[in-house]
Amino acid sequence: MISCQTFRATVRPGTDDSNVLEHLRSCDACLDHAVSIDPDFFFRSIGGSEMVPPGGVDNFVSDVMAQVRMRQTEGSSMRRLPLNQYLRAAAALLFVIAGTTGVYRFSSVAPAIAPITTAAVQIHKPLTTKAVVETYQSQNATIVEMPTASAADAKVVMIYDDSLPADL
Amino acid sequence: MATALRLMIPTNESVELDDRQLVENVRSGKPEAFEQLVRRKTSKVYALCYRIIGNSEDAKDISQLVFIKLWENIEKYDPKYAFDTWLYRMVTNVGIDFIRSRQSRDNAVNSTLRLVKTSADAEQGLIVQRKEIEHVFQTCSTVLSPKQKTIFVMREMDDLASSEIARVLGCRESTVRNHLFNARKLLQEELKKRFPEYSKLWKENA
Repeated sequence: MISCQTFRATVRPGTDDSNVLEHLRSCDACLDHAVSIDPDFFFRSIGGSEMVPPGGVDNFVSDVMAQVRMRQTEGSSMRRLPLNQYLRAAAALLFVIAGTTGVYRFSSVAPAIAPITTAAVQIHKPLTTKAVVETYQSQNATIVEMPTASAADAKVVMIYDDSLPADL
Repeated sequence: MATALRLMIPTNESVELDDRQLVENVRSGKPEAFEQLVRRKTSKVYALCYRIIGNSEDAKDISQLVFIKLWENIEKYDPKYAFDTWLYRMVTNVGIDFIRSRQSRDNAVNSTLRLVKTSADAEQGLIVQRKEIEHVFQTCSTVLSPKQKTIFVMREMDDLASSEIARVLGCRESTVRNHLFNARKLLQEELKKRFPEYSKLWKENA
């Protein structure tokens, strides 16, 4: 960067000299002097400096790249479908529309159908007793004994084990 | 011997690809080249967006939008022209659209709010505070049209020549000069109303 002395000697109104502008934008001592020569330097003193977006450049770039990747994926999945698949899908859609229209026409001319009465059917499933596990050995079981209020209460023991059948 | 050895070591200049080469790499399916391009241009794009828009969060969003548009339209770039000109065109288009939509929204909400300094403030001694200039500009530049503001920022803060700005905006150089002249005049008038202490600078020099 040029010295203050050089700046003051070379600064001219409306200059485009990059060295002069660089000095103008970084030296507070010369700002007043420059503005007294050309008031347009007042706003020209803004700028030149590197500006970092909030959150930093790295975060900014990664945000942009994430959006780009997302759009890239969307784009490639759209492109992956070949033309004949589009045609098949269109044909299927056309078929469904035509079929629906036919059914609608038929139902509009067909005589009214008597409502079908339905009766609730109860399915009796015989109750079966599950086999009682009398002996049980496992390395992975977790046994939890539930606390009881008195000795007369039934003792409840819970066993957690992935190897046991789910419906036990 | 030392000189010979030094010549064999690749310098940053030789390793670093220029913008056109990076674009070419992006086109040939190398996303890392695009990442490099974004990293290289972030500060420039963000600074321009910030000065046109005047709000850091909006400027960040708009800058990201510019890069997404850049990605989507990278095939349209003609390497005959400078990459920065093409990028600046994208920034100005998106930025101007944003200001226009914001202005219409703000106008609907509040069209009369104006902050004007009292004459008592103006009597105080004048010391140009660098930190305040940015604020003064953002306050006064609300009277400029989006195009005037964009041209003013590109000319006065980014030091682009009028011919370059004309290429970016796709208009005549005389139009750029005209906008610039009007922008300066409007800013002076607004400065006089809102920051009379600074407007004295123009009076003293007139």
